[in-house]
Parts: sequence; C-alpha cells; structure tokens
Amino acid sequence: MRTLKLISASILFLLIAVNIINAQSDFDKVQNFKTKYKQIEESIKNASDLNQCFDIENEIIKLKGDFTADKKLLDNSLYPLNFDSSIDKLVSALETRKGDFTQITELKEEVSGLKEKITVLDKQNYALLEQIKDLDAGRRKDAATIESLRKLTDQLRSSLRKRDELVVGIIDSLLAEFVNHPFTLNEAERISFDKKIEYNNLFYNVERTISDNIEFITVTKLEPDDFADIKEKYSSFSKMWKQIGPRLGDVYLNRAEKTAAIERIDSRFGQWNYAINSQMWRSINSLFLEKNIKLLSYNSGSEFTERVTGFIEDEIKNIGVKKSEESENMYYTFADTLWFEKIQPEWVPVLIENRMLEEAQKDTIEARIANWKAQIVPEGLAWWIYIIGIVVLILIILGITSVLKKKQVS
Amino acid sequence: MKKSFLIVLLIIPLIAACSTIVLQPVNFGWAIENVLTSDANGMVEEQRHAISFNITPLFQAEFGDSVKADSKEIRIICSTDGFYFVTSKTFKNVYVLAPAENSLKVDNKILINEQGLLSPVFNQRDTHIELIDGANIYKLTSKGITVK
Repeated sequence: MRTLKLISASILFLLIAVNIINAQSDFDKVQNFKTKYKQIEESIKNASDLNQCFDIENEIIKLKGDFTADKKLLDNSLYPLNFDSSIDKLVSALETRKGDFTQITELKEEVSGLKEKITVLDKQNYALLEQIKDLDAGRRKDAATIESLRKLTDQLRSSLRKRDELVVGIIDSLLAEFVNHPFTLNEAERISFDKKIEYNNLFYNVERTISDNIEFITVTKLEPDDFADIKEKYSSFSKMWKQIGPRLGDVYLNRAEKTAAIERIDSRFGQWNYAINSQMWRSINSLFLEKNIKLLSYNSGSEFTERVTGFIEDEIKNIGVKKSEESENMYYTFADTLWFEKIQPEWVPVLIENRMLEEAQKDTIEARIANWKAQIVPEGLAWWIYIIGIVVLILIILGITSVLKKKQVS
Repeated sequence: MKKSFLIVLLIIPLIAACSTIVLQPVNFGWAIENVLTSDANGMVEEQRHAISFNITPLFQAEFGDSVKADSKEIRIICSTDGFYFVTSKTFKNVYVLAPAENSLKVDNKILINEQGLLSPVFNQRDTHIELIDGANIYKLTSKGITVK
C-alpha cells in the first residue's frame, strides 16, 4: 500500500514537472522561430560556396522538424506568411543561391581553360617581342632579316589578337552578370563579384593587354591598314572598359587599392590611345624623311597641317632662289610621289576616320599644293603654249593643203 | 378596430428598421501575446493589430505612480471574445480591458499574486487565456481565474 502511494506520488510529480517544462510562452516560441529563420536567411546571403549551401539545407530541415509541433501557432502568427510558406521561402532562396554557385563553377571551369591559354600567349608574345626587338636593333637589314621581321610581326599580331579575344571574353561574361544586377550591389553580391574578378585576374589581364598592344605598335613597323585595325580594337576595348569600370567601382566601393587599380587602368587607356596616335604620326613622318623632307615634329592634325603648309610656303618662297630644277624636283617628290601617291590615298582616310585630321585641314594642304604647283608650272604659260601649238598645227595643215592644191592644179 | 390595426401595421416596419444587426460568431483572439515597450509618454503601439493606447493609468493603479510607466514592458493579448488582457512584471493583477468609445475601459481586475508577478506570459487557448508566471499556470477569462 505504501509502495503504491509512493509510485502515485512520483507519477504526479512527474506530470507536474513535465507540465512546468512544457509551460512556455507562445510568443517566445514564435520569436525563437523568427530568430532562427533570420539566421538562416543571413547564412544564405553570406554563403560562399556550394558546401555551405548544403549545410544550410540541413539547418532548414532541422528548423522545420523542430517547429512542426507548433505549426498551427506559427501559421497564425507569421503574418503575412505561414509556417509552410516561410520554410518554402527559405528553400527557394537557398536554391537561387545554389544556382549562383553552380554557374560560378561552370564559369570557373570555362575560365580556367582561358587562363591557361592566356598564360601560354603571354609567354609567346613576350618571346616574339624580344625577337623583333633583337632583329630591329641589328645593323644588318638584309632581305632575309626584313622577311623574318615581317613573319614575326605577323605571328605577334595574330597571337595578340587571340589573347585580346580571350580577355574580351572574360569582360563580356562579367558584363553579362552585371546586367543581371542592375542596381547597387549588396555586400554578398560584392563578395561574389570580387571572387570572380580575382579568379579571372581581370585587372592584370586588362593592364597586360594594354601594355602588350602599346609595345607592339612601338616595336613594329605598321601600315595604315594595321593602324585602322589597332584603332578599332582600342575603341571597342575602351568602350567595354567604360561600361564595366563604374560597376567595378561599385564592387570595390570601400577598397582603396582596387579603386586605384581601376584609375590606373583608366589612365593606361589614355596612354594606349596616345601611343597609337604618336606612332601614326611618326610613321607618316618617316615617309617624308625617306624623301629627305624634314618637318618639325607634330602630334595632331593641326600641327601636321601647320608643318606641311609651312614647308610648302618655304618652298614657294625659295622659287627663284633655289635652282628651278631643284624646286621642281622638290614639288614633284612632295606632291606626286608622297602626297597624292601615299599619304592622301592611304593615310588621310585613316586619319580622318579617327578624327586625327579634319577634312578642312586636308583641303587647306591640297590648296597650298595647288598654289605651289601654279608657281612651279605657271598655268597661264601652259595655256598660251597650247594656243600657239594649235595655231602652228592649223598653219601646217593649211600649208600642206595649199601645196597639195597647187600640185593638183599644175 | 380598423384604426388600431393600421397603427400596428405602421409600427412593425419601424421596429424592424431600428433593430441592431449582429454578426456572429466573431473571433477577436490574437494568436500570440505581444510584448510592447512604452515611450516616455506611456504610449504603447501594437503594429500588427493596429492598436495604440496609454498605459499610465494601469501603472498608477498598480504603484500609485505614473512616472513608472516610462519605458516599461507590458504583455498584452486579446481573447477570442474581444477582451484585452494586460499585465507586466511586478504587477499584482491582470487587467481585463474592453474597448469603449476612444478608450479602453477596465472591465475586470484579476488579482494573481500579492507579491507581484515575476515573469508573466500569456498564451491563447481555445476556451481561455493562459497566464504563466514561473511555475504557476492560470486559466483566465474576462470574469476571473477559472483554474489555477
């Protein structure tokens, strides 16, 4: 009997204890659920790889399991969501995040191949540039050396083009991703883009592309068509950088070293453009030098116009001072051999297309050449020569006819 | 006779027009209690159910000092029949409030503990409001404690 009382008392105590333990505030339960929910939401945002996503998936399963008993309470309390839709929302956010990483993994594999190719091309380009420099520096410039130089230049041009295309591919893929994030990036997105940019070695690759292209135009002898291609390449690259630059600025909003790198690349683009322009003017000047025509240096369309018209004015002034044969030779060399045969048909269109020379400046030069021609070969004299020639011809014909008539009569 | 009949005929529609329309049943109950903190003026605001009121009179009733209502935490829940149950730590009572014109009127004051409550929480239950204070659990209705 006593034992029975003891057992009954124990059971009663146990029931009371369980009741006390279970006596919990519904409000606390809901708050507890909300806190855990927020923690998981943050974890999803901050996840940095797929493995972390799998861990979060387990946390969601655990959350669901822990609170299923309170489903009814949570359904009524999680307005405007309910228990199931809250869990679904987490699952959906996690799936989206997983998708990001799957895409990144695919991109990584794709870019990994690109990186290897770029490294090979970097080495190849470096070796080619060195060979070209060696050959160019040599005193002997026989036919074989010139041919070798030409071949190496072609190889380097093609190799550079391949490398440029790969870098453009990397920038393109990043641009495409930025398009999917049109607004200001949040911290998680910044981290994600930073990883992609670092993985692609974007800053190094863009800077290296610019340096190689500058060196290419500096060490090689290029034709007007080459410059047209180079200018086009510069324009499209620069345009692409202008598109991606501000977005990179957003990614690295609070990182001074990265902001400085972006600014450095901005200025490198300026240097690239300057190098192309300078090299174009130098190439044009080398044509004058080949013909022993020395012009003061120039680096813009207006300077070029000024130097050329200045030279023509000097030559016009020297008519009568110099031997007329010398003056005529200079005119024909300048006008016929250089300007109308090489510079005007080959270089002027490229210069005008790239806004390095204006149509009006070209017309000014050509007007001066026409004036020079008029001084060297006076137009008036030429007209009288034609008249005299015609008169003489008529007289000859008349003479012959009268002689023939006389013969017939006799 | 005819006259009386006509008067009755006129009165019946009038009575019908004046009678109040009642919608039933209504569940006013909140799923969970809410914990609100008063501002310097003693005002609390419950955002989900859009109710705000001044708790100063309750603190005055409990402690005889309105200053104590500044930055205080109260617990509130609305029962299924539309009464607000309000209490706080160190309160001796749970106040049952009923909505009135631009006001809440104390409908009942349920004494729980003369020593003051330690950590009271409310839960919504099907037939009553559950009040837990440490190990003590009380079943409350607007009329008072039903079971302890």
